[in-house]
Amino acid sequence: MALADFIRSLDDLESQAVAAFREATDNDGLEEVRIRFLGAKNGQLKSVQQQMSSVDGPDKKAAGMRLNAAKGNIQASFEQAVEQLSQRAQKSGPAPDPTLPGNPVRLGHVHPVTQTIEHLKEIMGRMGFEVVEGPEVEDPWHNFVALNIPEDHPARDPLDNFYLATAERNGSGKTYAEGDRLLRSQTSTVQIRVMENRQPPIRVISLGRVYRPDEADATHYPMFHQMEGLLIDRGVTMANLKTVLNMFATSYLGEEVKVRFRPSFFPFTEPSVEVDYWWNGSWIEFGGAGMVDPAVLTAVGYDPEEVTGFAFGLGVERLCMRRHAVTDIRDLFSGDIRFLSQF
Amino acid sequence: MLVSWNWLRRYVDLPMTEPELSERLSMTGLNHEGTEVVDGETVIDLEVTSNRGDCLGHIGVAREISVLYELPLCKPQPEPAEGSGKASDSIRVTNVFSDACPRYTARVIRGVKVGPSPDWLVEALRAVGIGSVNNVVDITNFVLMECGQPLHAFDLAKLAGDEIVVRPARPEEEIEAIDHKTYTLDPEMCVIADRDRAVAVAGVMGGASTEVTESTTDLLIESAVFTPLSVRRTARKLKLHSPSSFRFERRVDPQGVDWASRRCCELILEIAGGTLEQGVADTEPQLPAPTNVCLRLAQVERVLGVKVPDDEIRKILTALGCDEQTADVDKIHTCPPSWRHDLTREIDLIEEIARIYGYEKIPDDSPIPVAASQKRPFDEAVSKIRDVLVGSGISEAMTPSVVPADVDELVSPWTDRQPLTTETALLKGAKTLRRSILPSLLDSRHANQAASGADAELFEVAHIYVPPAEVDGLPEEQYCVAGVSGQDFYQVKGIVETLLRRLGIAAVPDVRQVEVHGLDKAWSIELTIAGELIGYVGQLCPDVQKSLKLEKTTTCFELNLDAMLAAAHLVPQFRSVSPFPSVSRDLNLVVDEAIRWVDLAASVRAAVGPVLADLKYVETYRDPAKDGEGKKRILMSIDLQSPDSTLTNAQADAMRGDVVDRCNADHGAVLLG
Repeated sequence: MALADFIRSLDDLESQAVAAFREATDNDGLEEVRIRFLGAKNGQLKSVQQQMSSVDGPDKKAAGMRLNAAKGNIQASFEQAVEQLSQRAQKSGPAPDPTLPGNPVRLGHVHPVTQTIEHLKEIMGRMGFEVVEGPEVEDPWHNFVALNIPEDHPARDPLDNFYLATAERNGSGKTYAEGDRLLRSQTSTVQIRVMENRQPPIRVISLGRVYRPDEADATHYPMFHQMEGLLIDRGVTMANLKTVLNMFATSYLGEEVKVRFRPSFFPFTEPSVEVDYWWNGSWIEFGGAGMVDPAVLTAVGYDPEEVTGFAFGLGVERLCMRRHAVTDIRDLFSGDIRFLSQF
Repeated sequence: MLVSWNWLRRYVDLPMTEPELSERLSMTGLNHEGTEVVDGETVIDLEVTSNRGDCLGHIGVAREISVLYELPLCKPQPEPAEGSGKASDSIRVTNVFSDACPRYTARVIRGVKVGPSPDWLVEALRAVGIGSVNNVVDITNFVLMECGQPLHAFDLAKLAGDEIVVRPARPEEEIEAIDHKTYTLDPEMCVIADRDRAVAVAGVMGGASTEVTESTTDLLIESAVFTPLSVRRTARKLKLHSPSSFRFERRVDPQGVDWASRRCCELILEIAGGTLEQGVADTEPQLPAPTNVCLRLAQVERVLGVKVPDDEIRKILTALGCDEQTADVDKIHTCPPSWRHDLTREIDLIEEIARIYGYEKIPDDSPIPVAASQKRPFDEAVSKIRDVLVGSGISEAMTPSVVPADVDELVSPWTDRQPLTTETALLKGAKTLRRSILPSLLDSRHANQAASGADAELFEVAHIYVPPAEVDGLPEEQYCVAGVSGQDFYQVKGIVETLLRRLGIAAVPDVRQVEVHGLDKAWSIELTIAGELIGYVGQLCPDVQKSLKLEKTTTCFELNLDAMLAAAHLVPQFRSVSPFPSVSRDLNLVVDEAIRWVDLAASVRAAVGPVLADLKYVETYRDPAKDGEGKKRILMSIDLQSPDSTLTNAQADAMRGDVVDRCNADHGAVLLG
């Protein structure tokens, strides 16, 4: 017998044996495999070993070495299998209960107001509105003057705004003159900033925190979020405004929603309207809207004879509370994990 | 504005039901706040917007109804009979403060009998929530509620001298008002004075010294126009708001001043008797001519998006009291009525047309043209950040941006400048514009622990307000993401590092131990990328933790979103994967205690160069017996991979040798034998 043939049959045997030992799943199976390969009488190793004698003389030494190696490997894999089975046997106790709950993953929660804002951005984005932002600390020009709110307007009353305090600092003088800077009372300020820097067409929503001195109760909070939409272009009408708000409402609240306008008054829009939605059987006030006042267009350098536009402002918290049946606005700003983890 | 149903019917027929009328008024600008029945009388509460001072009286509301229902308005035409005496012999009026008082009128009635009011008058006032005082005062209130023009009756005998002066208050001048409180005035305030002293705070409240009482026989009836700003400032400074100030702040009808005066006198003569003296003292009998407004008919459709028939437009304007001056095919020149100070421009008239024509007729199927919009990278980045934090078990909170000063003091990583403050508090005691979000979150964490024992892990994305360096500069509003957690420092740091990787920031941030106000010095680091400060991670210092009674050591982080965004790569870019296997080598280096990982790692990177696929810290171990005091063993693992060949064991070993040499040279590190 040629050495190569002998080695090939040894190789085959070895790989078959190693695989068989690895696959043995219980002691009976393992014993069966052991007898098949390592059995003293009819084991396959035994029968290959017997072929040794027919290997040519000069190759006998090499054949013997290979035979011993194969023997060792097969023996080792048998021992490994024994070890594994005994380990497995040790582990097995009472039958497991796979219906027990899994290990929970600790997840945080995105704030419901953020979820609402993201939802609003998405809906308005589909209608082509881009998101813009601006500073919360504003000057009276952006917060009032450019918005057509004159100096004698009650909206500028210090009691209705958060003006920054005049402070003496290390004797170095005053920080701000009275009424010089304030926390913005509406996100319309951002629209002014956008219009100052861009030419029409403008199609943006501005989102963010606004501040009004209200006593905090279930429906009021001195800080809240607004989403304000602005569209300026040639030929924009109040009918477009109604359409956009209608589409927004159907998108956010559902097909059954209707929108209606009631006359109102805002210095920066004319005509000005309150926007109500008919939802779940009643009219709900959702915010203000109107056509951008020609004086505002003029203030930012647009020609009101060339372009018209509409603007609308919605309270984000109100939408959020409606959607999630939250009844006390203060919960939104409490940081209470029992509240937050519901969303 | 409370409106009595019966009172309204004096001026206009009301063939409709109350709910129907309330609804209609709501839909045309006078929002219905509620309806009550007061002593059998129906009273409607209407919200009047600040531009519609003309609706702060029953006649104004009746006028709206007459327009809406095309009903005639029946307004009284008062013609009080005058006696033989002349008012000009009794009183003169001098106005030296016409900025605050554009028009002042006075009439004189002598010989009245002050007493109780007739039942109808008492009932009318009671319906709108005004108590009866005496017949004269009640009549002034009645006329106020009738037409919206405030009136005041002085006891003529109690006025010193025969001159009324409208003037600025003298510095520190005092007046006892009819509420029997004494107010200190200043020269920005307008007063009505006699020869000696102020007898009324103009447009706000009369004085006690000249008020009408049972013994009064002679009256001076004031009807005037005071400017909104002057009245508002005065009322606010004195914290004295009255039905008069409310109406002057919203402007009265300059033409209506005389009507109200005559109406008041007529009723006094009728109810309290007496004789009206001839004529009226009037500082401004010549009123400025009303301005003409031109409405181009085409503009109505251009703004509203609905075609209103021309004759409908004309009808609405006429009904509202806008006289058509000249007619044209395509435009209308009109003169708005004196009571509508808010109609001065074309757009004002368009609004009126929309309001009366009906907003429900404006179509809602007029789409805007398609436009593409893009998501801002900022939004994308913040949404990735939220994903990582939420996935790490941290919940998003939203807390007020203005906090109490002691809260703001807790932690301040970004600045030690004094915070900016607001004049009024946002919530109780909260006047400080926060310089960091962390104090608010720590406050919430504390509140959670106190309320429910919860180990609240919170983050927030918001602005902080970094005070300006210049005293008169604006604060820098910095978008930050901040978080607080009970997880240990390395876990939180790991979350921050994950967050940076999620933003596609490939560079390993430079880390430096720093001192941060409120954080533990031993556990505070700042992260920078290419020299730009990204933010801070640190453990709350024990003092603050104790003061907040927090049970667990709290780890905080606050990162500057703009700086992160500048370093971010939000669109991942593919890099070819090396087809050659990587080889790992472990190193166990003995170094001095003082050696920092960040420095050791820098040496490793420098030694290996780009072939270094990964560097992992495994653990630190100390064995003073074997290595000596003040030494530690740092076990690390390096992955080596070449882009163009399989590294041989010999090459890998050589590189490992380079690392050891470099670490030895830089930090005296010795490979554990």
